[in-house]
Amino acid sequence: MKRPVVFAALLLVAAVALAAYPVGATGYGVRVMLQLFMWVALAQSWNLISGLTGYVSFGHVAFFGTGAYVSSLLIVKAAWPWPLACLGGGLAGALLAVIMGWPCLRLRGPYFAIAMLGLNEVLRVIASYYEGLTGGGNGLSLPTLDASVAIYYAMGLVAAGVTAVTYLIVTSRFGLRLMTIREDEIAAEAMGIDTFRYKLYAFILSGIGPGIVGGLSARDQGYIEPISVFPLIMTITMIVMALFGGKGTIWGPVLGAAVLFAFQEAVWARFTYLHQLLFGAIIVAVVLLMPRGILGVLQQKYNLPRTI
Amino acid sequence: MTTAAILEVRRAVKRFGGVAAVNGVSLALEPGRIYGLIGPNGSGKTTLFNCITGADRVDEGEIFFKGRRIDRLKPHQIFHLGVGRTFQVIRVFPELTALENLLVVTTGGYEESCRRARELLARVKLERLAEEFAGNLSYGQQKLVEFVRMLMTDPELILLDEPAAGVNRTLLNELLDAVRALRDQGKTVLLVEHDMKVVMGLCETVLVLDHGEKLAEGAPGVIQADERVIEAYFGR
Amino acid sequence: MGVLITPAMIGQVVISGLLAGSIYALVALGLGLIFGVMRVLNVAHGPLMMLGAYTTFWLFQWFGVNPYLSMLLSMPLLFLIGVVLQRVLVSRVVDAPELSSLLLTFGISIALVNLAQLAFTSDLRSVEFLTGSFVVGPFALSKPRLAACAFAVAITGASFVFLRSTRLGKAIRAVSQSREVAQVCGIDVQRIHLLAFGLGSALAAAGGSLVAVMVAIQPEMGQVYTFKSFLVIVLGGAGNYPGALLGGLLLGLVEQLSSLFLTTQVNEAVAYVLLVLVLLIRPTGLLKGRV
Repeated sequence: MKRPVVFAALLLVAAVALAAYPVGATGYGVRVMLQLFMWVALAQSWNLISGLTGYVSFGHVAFFGTGAYVSSLLIVKAAWPWPLACLGGGLAGALLAVIMGWPCLRLRGPYFAIAMLGLNEVLRVIASYYEGLTGGGNGLSLPTLDASVAIYYAMGLVAAGVTAVTYLIVTSRFGLRLMTIREDEIAAEAMGIDTFRYKLYAFILSGIGPGIVGGLSARDQGYIEPISVFPLIMTITMIVMALFGGKGTIWGPVLGAAVLFAFQEAVWARFTYLHQLLFGAIIVAVVLLMPRGILGVLQQKYNLPRTI
Repeated sequence: MTTAAILEVRRAVKRFGGVAAVNGVSLALEPGRIYGLIGPNGSGKTTLFNCITGADRVDEGEIFFKGRRIDRLKPHQIFHLGVGRTFQVIRVFPELTALENLLVVTTGGYEESCRRARELLARVKLERLAEEFAGNLSYGQQKLVEFVRMLMTDPELILLDEPAAGVNRTLLNELLDAVRALRDQGKTVLLVEHDMKVVMGLCETVLVLDHGEKLAEGAPGVIQADERVIEAYFGR
Repeated sequence: MGVLITPAMIGQVVISGLLAGSIYALVALGLGLIFGVMRVLNVAHGPLMMLGAYTTFWLFQWFGVNPYLSMLLSMPLLFLIGVVLQRVLVSRVVDAPELSSLLLTFGISIALVNLAQLAFTSDLRSVEFLTGSFVVGPFALSKPRLAACAFAVAITGASFVFLRSTRLGKAIRAVSQSREVAQVCGIDVQRIHLLAFGLGSALAAAGGSLVAVMVAIQPEMGQVYTFKSFLVIVLGGAGNYPGALLGGLLLGLVEQLSSLFLTTQVNEAVAYVLLVLVLLIRPTGLLKGRV
């Protein structure tokens, strides 16, 4: 059984390399990698609910934005240190998941998707409306701080954390039960699985990661406004990354995030205006040609274990 | 209410749009017997099943399991009370292995559940396919997996929806033997079936539904000779 | 907000609500057709409507075509586009798990919006054609809204006649109820799918052409209609075509009524809150749906 050992060794090398990266890298390089970690965390979190249970979340950026606002407000109004504030953002994400999930997860897939579609808009409206609290359309500025390296590590931790949680779930009975929801919800119910409760747990878990990285991202940017933290393109990007790499797998979102992030850096620099179109085309292509994503296809072809 | 009845349905009505798929059906099942539910297509058999297991909700009437009212409960709750079912169209989880299909069911310890799952698979001679994805198994094998999956929690009432459908002779006999064994253990079985030979050979009591109403109830021989039943099947 | 609410205001609101609701009903019927026949949730419905609006705009801009006449072009055009989309893309996921069709139409929708941004730029456009209102007693009836409602009612009415009385219409209803049975009855289900998607798109285009006269046209204008059409389907019950009509009117009424009590910004969230409420209380729709 040499493969897992080799894999673990590679993982360790990668981890060390990434940890050491900021030492020699430029400020720009650090911020780029930090963003990559953010996308990994986001795609992986989306995967937790949509990949495992099959309940597509079209408004997942709502957790990101909520985390960004809650954490920024904690910093600005309550003078919390940013690491703590970002955890607060994660908690806010979890709470939002409970509030949203409670009514919406009782339903079959399509209705849940509809509900999530509108979620963004509502939150953006709320953020714009409560000007006294959130600065409304003018946005919210955070005290200046150069903490890119620290945030780099924080993001990395979250990305690693969400991936680890995914691994733990996929290899557990909890994960198996989540997957039965995706496979056949009616049969799952008939076999004694309280699908609502499981969906809710998965949803809550999927909201924490984006909540935290939302806070971290806001801290890094130093400024947020409603449109910048609730953009549809963010949801789209998360989805494409997870789909492309392989939803329902553990490393799929990581792979997808890495590949598409690199692609995004290359294309965005030159063809900003084609961005959405290309992503839309990728989604269409993936759904039609390889709905299981790269890793999913490999998994099937070479009969790889589920822990890929 | 007879205290002996393990399942009691009282004047159940279930409507879809303007049509009453189940129209005032009442029945009482005694424990430890094998019951058959027959009737022409569209007579409401599967709907009745769905109402008992909670997949559908009755519009009127009540359903009792071991004296406890269950018609307002969710399917997973009813399952844990001791009612298991299989489906007309096989519903295994294709991307889970046969073993995992069984594992997702119980809430006992992992080791214990694994042991029991392997034991059940062995009982239907599928132990060597335990690690195979259920979607890759043959139709008959999937049917068996679905069958034993339901047995993981040792249900007292077992509902089988067309167990003989699409199954070859040998497999069918295995299934029938398994059902008889369950009955001998004191379980109650209610099966919906179109194959008359199976019903007449296996069931101790046969219930006949027609157009959502209970037409007749009795021993197989009696039902076979009942004119109303013949009329319901072969036309008016 | 401490304003005294007079009966006249309520009356005005009801009228405005019905006028707006008729458009919702029209567009939602299109979505409902697609969902009812194929069980596909067409996330690209709003963008299709947007394309209809742009068609009207460009025809008006270049050739001075009457926006209401332009529907004679925008509807067939979008019908064709819908048929092509169905034939090439959507047909491949009709039998796949719902996740696939959701993601596919989602991908199509973002691609369409971006294409529109490339082709038309994001500049706000408008069609200055009909302005002002008729004053009838204490009520002001906006002319473009009235015209839009009239056409919406006509088109929706024609659609219902089509569904009820023509062979194709009945075939559509048959497939909506049970694909297997329809097949057995000799109905070419693939053709019905094409027809349904085409018709659905055409109805969306009609809605787009009608609102082109009233709102700012830009590539993302359709998104909110996608969501509201979904909401209408939820309200009226999936597969329930008359339900879509009632649901649309209801949504229009609720929105206008709540505008009496809420600021415009918060009012945007009304549709959403309504959705969550309905999902909580009657997930199968206010009328009986066939999910």
